Amino acid sequence: MAKNQIKKTFIEPLGKNNPVFVQILGICSTLAVTNKLQNTMVMTLGVMFTTALSSWTISLLRKHIPSRIRMMVETMVIATYVIIVDIVLKAYYPEMWKQLGPYVGLIITNCIVMGRIEAFALQNKPMLSLIDGLASGLGYTYVLLAIAFIRELLGTGSLWGIKILGSWWTNWAIMIMPPGGFFVLAILIWIIRETLMKEAKK
Amino acid sequence: MKAQESFFHQRIYPLLFMFLVTLFCILLTAGLHLATQERATSNELAFTRRAVLQAGGVEFVNTTAGIEEAYQSSIEAKNGYYIATTKTGTRYVIPAQGPGLWGTISVMAGFEQDMKTFSGMAIVSQNETPGLGARIEEPWFTSQFAGKQAPFTLVDEGSNSGTNEIDAITGASRTSEFFRNLANKVAKDAPSIIGGK
Repeated sequence: MAKNQIKKTFIEPLGKNNPVFVQILGICSTLAVTNKLQNTMVMTLGVMFTTALSSWTISLLRKHIPSRIRMMVETMVIATYVIIVDIVLKAYYPEMWKQLGPYVGLIITNCIVMGRIEAFALQNKPMLSLIDGLASGLGYTYVLLAIAFIRELLGTGSLWGIKILGSWWTNWAIMIMPPGGFFVLAILIWIIRETLMKEAKK
Repeated sequence: MKAQESFFHQRIYPLLFMFLVTLFCILLTAGLHLATQERATSNELAFTRRAVLQAGGVEFVNTTAGIEEAYQSSIEAKNGYYIATTKTGTRYVIPAQGPGLWGTISVMAGFEQDMKTFSGMAIVSQNETPGLGARIEEPWFTSQFAGKQAPFTLVDEGSNSGTNEIDAITGASRTSEFFRNLANKVAKDAPSIIGGK
């Protein structure tokens, strides 16, 4: 029973309860950072770290948090983890930190983090909340990486900063700009909903 | 039930709880910040110094230690500019800033002894659109300034030929224009900045 629950908690955010293409959460960062695979990877690792640990922390405190100030406590905990990510990046990966700029700080406002805390961590045990946070982060990660893959390839002809397509390739400037993110995300959601999730809809 | 509605539970406890959480979080992040501050400052310094070395055309190993070593041995900081001593001659490196599309672009511009010909150009910081305007950081863009003279005109990406033509970046016309203006301005100011010695 317990094992089943863990498995279910882990699998759901990856598939039929995916934060990006089912719950449509965290769209701001989906559009902003997905024009390069490298940036996307670091950003999603930051989100995974933040969702997992803040869900865990809030779940630990859940019986002691007065419900009227719970949002303040949640924001404080989330912000603390995000600042930790920011400080570590700044000190150890300065090049990456420079490129991501304000987007790391914006993880604080990523709705996935607070969404999982409100929807899951407040009612569940710490370990289960940690798994839920991690899986939600993972669900977010693979969707963003897929989008970044398409955008970087079409927009710059390269992947992970390495030129893949030859000089015959004309870069699609639109893919690099924010509208490109909208197009790719929308098409991806449409394809997934029409094919893989058709039965779930019925 | 009664305890739940008491004054303590209604008013004091939430305040106290929030205060303790905040205190703990602040101590944690402030401690981490202080612990890594030295590293962050030296990273920042290394960025600036690397830009000076690149603009002056000094060879260096791209590590914090390598940058530091090359900087100490061949750069001399003066009032408002740097002097770079290289195997191929002495150069002047001038820091400059100008507006970009989203924020300030700051660069190091290197000049040969005639104070007109660029020896190199390096970006210290910029906030242009990633993948478009931010390509001003790519070596192919900055390296095209070497050996050329202002005033510059922009031509299509991949087609510069004359000594004052610069490739614009496709899809980032505005950033390219801002960057051209910045390069022209620093070239105009160079003699007076260096001459003021």
